[in-house]
Amino acid sequence: MATAVARIADVTEPAQASLWSDAWRRLRRNRLALAAAIFLVFLVGIAILAIFYTPYRMSATGIAPTYAPPSLAHWLGADNLGRDQLSRLMIGAQISLVVGVGTQLLVVAVGVPLGLLAGYYRGWLDSVVTFVINVFYGVPDLLVALILVFLLGPSLANIIIAIVVTRWMDMARMVRGQTLALREREFIEAGRASGAKPVKMLFGHILPNALGPIIVQATFGVPAAILFEAFLSFLGAGVQQPTPSWGSMAKDGVDAIRFAPHMVIFPSIALSLTLMAFNFLGDGLRDALDPRQKR
Amino acid sequence: MFTRGTLIYIGQRVVLIAFTVLAVSSIVFLGIHRLPGDALFNEHLHGEQYALLLHHYNLDQPLLTQYRDFVVAVVTRGDLGESLVNRGVKITPLVLRELGISVEVGAFALLFTIGIGLLFGVVASVRQNTWIDYVLSTTSVIGYSMPNFVIASFLILVFGVWLDNVTNGGFYYQLGGWKGDLGQLWLPAFALGFPYASIVARLTRASMLEVVRQDYIRTARAKGLRETVIVARHALRNALIPVITILGPLAIGIITGSVVIENLFGIPGLGKEFAQSILNRDYFIVIGVFTMYAAMVGLANLLVDMLYVVIDPRIRY
Repeated sequence: MATAVARIADVTEPAQASLWSDAWRRLRRNRLALAAAIFLVFLVGIAILAIFYTPYRMSATGIAPTYAPPSLAHWLGADNLGRDQLSRLMIGAQISLVVGVGTQLLVVAVGVPLGLLAGYYRGWLDSVVTFVINVFYGVPDLLVALILVFLLGPSLANIIIAIVVTRWMDMARMVRGQTLALREREFIEAGRASGAKPVKMLFGHILPNALGPIIVQATFGVPAAILFEAFLSFLGAGVQQPTPSWGSMAKDGVDAIRFAPHMVIFPSIALSLTLMAFNFLGDGLRDALDPRQKR
Repeated sequence: MFTRGTLIYIGQRVVLIAFTVLAVSSIVFLGIHRLPGDALFNEHLHGEQYALLLHHYNLDQPLLTQYRDFVVAVVTRGDLGESLVNRGVKITPLVLRELGISVEVGAFALLFTIGIGLLFGVVASVRQNTWIDYVLSTTSVIGYSMPNFVIASFLILVFGVWLDNVTNGGFYYQLGGWKGDLGQLWLPAFALGFPYASIVARLTRASMLEVVRQDYIRTARAKGLRETVIVARHALRNALIPVITILGPLAIGIITGSVVIENLFGIPGLGKEFAQSILNRDYFIVIGVFTMYAAMVGLANLLVDMLYVVIDPRIRY
């Protein structure tokens, strides 16, 4: 009898699937997100490769005729100073990824604790944080970032700082909302009743339950930051020459659009494909990690 | 619709906007004095002439005095000072004129965005899970991922370079040009609005799909109304509410996007002035343009909040 019961239990209870294995299963079924992930792995590969090897030195001028169209020696042609476009595009991938991922790491470091504290303690702390968030939403982010870069000086680190200053609010607001909802749940009450310390409550119980939306938000934040950097570079406030950025390459291309369209086409395609891949991956991750939010 | 409470709320918001504008221009005013470079440097003036010039711009005063004079002039006379590069050009009329051009282009882009976005969203939702839906949905993700300057570059490449014989160069902005000119409004509006039109389309599609499943739509069908009437009059109106949430960011996006787009298309608006004045180190104009932008963003946000009240009578302030 006892063995029969055990056997029935074996049959009816499926193997426990954790959130992550479940999400991975769902993500794998989303072909678009998978293709995007593969493209991004390829892109990261190129960026890493560019540390050790580029076909030509990215700052070497005059190695091809200026404005040379694509050829066998220079697959993507040359730019206005006769520099190899492919090499510059590869370094540009590095810059974009560093800016995109770097900003999101900082945004998480700033936004998550602020959102957790504001949502958990509420009261005056919440009022202050919410007010600051609203003030930052009220000013045009790109223009503030532009002024910040001009004040601090255009370097990669300063660009990342400027983007973080104008873009941390989405994360803080989302985490605050999640915390507000989670703190009313029974398991938090149980934790509090059993005397868990606030730090333990916030980082041991609330944060893990908000991790899915945080990952999704950060994934969507990466293309936004890359776009931001491209915009700044396009206006000449990005990383400075000779270091290439896809934005400044596109800007150089626009200036020569009548006779050297390849200069604007390739950086634009690289930029668009990368942004698209992150957005598709974000869509896939949202469906996989956060099924309630499904469109 | 607009009760007394609402009017008081609007009044408070306007005061808040005025303070924000003042705060923004103050920060820019004080911050800009830390910038390297000098608009007067290129004139190679020395001694008395240079001192006269500095005095002309009030630059020989201590920073705090300059700041006080600046605030007083702005608050009492709306006077933003004089251009450092083009001597004698007053900034306030200049930026107001440019604001008019930018608003014209921006408003057209806004209409274009909302129109295309709603159209695509409604069509995709009515034809859910058909090839039309898939094409439109994929297009919208692609559009969302294209930076506006990439779209603008491709438009210039196609219409300005490859189709040059057809468009006949008539695609760069000309003051007083014909409004139907491609470059006058259509191409800038497309480049500015398309990324946001994609977001509007996605939101519209999602909220339409929720609304058409509700009972009152079934009632409307049972009454024998035509499908177009049901979609346009009954479903769309309620589907619009979530779409309005995007309007604030949308307006700000179009305002900031115009900095790049106006430069690419040669539109003599605020955005072009902004980039130009930073390059020229004409700092007084930078302050003026920033002040305009802060005011515009504040007003746009206020308008959107008021729109909620108009569309959804349940919302009150």
